[in-house]
Amino acid sequence: MSGAGRIAAGALAAAAAGPAIAALVPPGVLLSLLAQACIYAILALSVGVLARQNGMVSFGHAAMFGAGAYLAGIGLGAPGLLPAEAALPLAVLAVAAVCFGLGLIVVRVHGIAFAMLTLALGQACFEAANKARGVTGGADGLTVALPREIFGLPAATFQRAEGMFLIAWLAMVALAALAALLARSRFGLLTEAIRENEERARFLGYGTVLPRAAVFALSGGIAAAGGVLYVLYNGFVSPETVHWSVSGSALIMALLGGTRTVWGPLAGAAVYFLLREQLVEVTERWLGLLGILLVLVMVFLPDGLSGLPRRLRRRHGAEA
Amino acid sequence: MSAPALLARGLARHYGGVAALRGVDLDLVPGEIRGLIGPNGAGKSTLVDVLSGRAPGSGGSVRLFGQDITGLGPAARRHAGLARSFQRTSIFPALPVGAQLDLAARRVGATDAPRLLDELDLARLAAVPAEQTAYGDQRRLDLALALVGPPRVLLLDEPAAGLTAEESLALADRLRELARARGVTVLLVEHDMEVVFRICERITVLELGAILAEGTPQEIRRHPEVVRAYLGSAAA
Repeated sequence: MSGAGRIAAGALAAAAAGPAIAALVPPGVLLSLLAQACIYAILALSVGVLARQNGMVSFGHAAMFGAGAYLAGIGLGAPGLLPAEAALPLAVLAVAAVCFGLGLIVVRVHGIAFAMLTLALGQACFEAANKARGVTGGADGLTVALPREIFGLPAATFQRAEGMFLIAWLAMVALAALAALLARSRFGLLTEAIRENEERARFLGYGTVLPRAAVFALSGGIAAAGGVLYVLYNGFVSPETVHWSVSGSALIMALLGGTRTVWGPLAGAAVYFLLREQLVEVTERWLGLLGILLVLVMVFLPDGLSGLPRRLRRRHGAEA
Repeated sequence: MSAPALLARGLARHYGGVAALRGVDLDLVPGEIRGLIGPNGAGKSTLVDVLSGRAPGSGGSVRLFGQDITGLGPAARRHAGLARSFQRTSIFPALPVGAQLDLAARRVGATDAPRLLDELDLARLAAVPAEQTAYGDQRRLDLALALVGPPRVLLLDEPAAGLTAEESLALADRLRELARARGVTVLLVEHDMEVVFRICERITVLELGAILAEGTPQEIRRHPEVVRAYLGSAAA
């Protein structure tokens, strides 16, 4: 089976697992938690795509997530202006387009400087969300009333855990499959080459800024898609959604799971949410315990949890 | 008369108050393999950097088969037909060897990647990530990335660096075969004099950012200033 065929088969199997999980988990807090985990897994996926294809670490992806949420919320709040079916994809496309334009500038910066730049841009968006009261509701946030139906589904479907879990699960699987196909494509190979050795890529005749900006835009679009689901589920978005700590959490999820594989950040998000729920019950200082776990993973599994199978295969191969 | 493959006039490069290149002129005849030698700090790598667009020159011009490429960046120069390799191995460590050659070939619309893999004994490593191959394989991959196309002019910055004497000579012979078969003009920067004298038809000697001498290997071996400044008595 070809690489694309394997990805399609894997995505179909993963998509089919969604309803099975929903049937096994009793409706309530756990399913709601899983729905949120899927939404944040999409954010972690976006961080992972940027790290994997561009080799860049972002501390500002909450801005794209929040921008998607705000734009969708504003669009949904003005039904006379745009139907919801147009407002939601437009929110994603608008964020991706802005990221592309921004990417043409910021991807020229590397390493820690890029991380700091994204942190600064993210916090600028946080401040803008706080100050632009007339548009965003300021610190009070933006309450969004959903129309009766979106894409033929009753609005309640998006705001109940059972419905949103399935929607977010399917969106997560589809976006992960898209990221996997990208990684296997010629464009994916080029961006990996640029990540590995940008100067050499230039001397092979490739321009390197456009491909990197395109990855930045794709990553931003994925984050915005997570934001759209967030606002659909919660019916509310506030500046806290844009805060750097959300970017930090997404980065922790991506690093926990590992960014060498597409599915690593998704696994990281699952572990993060499940552990957080357990640790919160044990101590108020759950974040400290999570930090210790992250340190242990980084020391003993630098490729994250998704690097574990490869490591075990190598060890098994060495012993054989 | 056909235009020189590479024509540099008055190339200069200053680092602050230090002149790394001081008005260097260079003419490469199409199809020749030219050696560029000189002591450390002579400006050899700087010259290759300025010719390839890696570093901006402080003055002078570069023409490739008559086309002025002075203001072009590295990618545009590659499209014009100028390729280079680097003193330190410059490959894509995590990518499979074959995929790297495909990537390089696709950009210039070339179809010679599989043949080049064979000719440089890399076909058996096509599916292996470059970081998992031996150093000698990585050096040949570096050369292959520069040779794919093929380019019209190839600048090689110490392609034999770090190789054993035997590997260096084998690489030199292979390079000569490949360049001749493809009609590629080569400017070869190399410290290994055995390699330079073995495959170069003419040699340019650089000292303190200026050309000290130019001639056939025999002439350079006997040139008193070159012997004094660089070769020493061992060359005699």
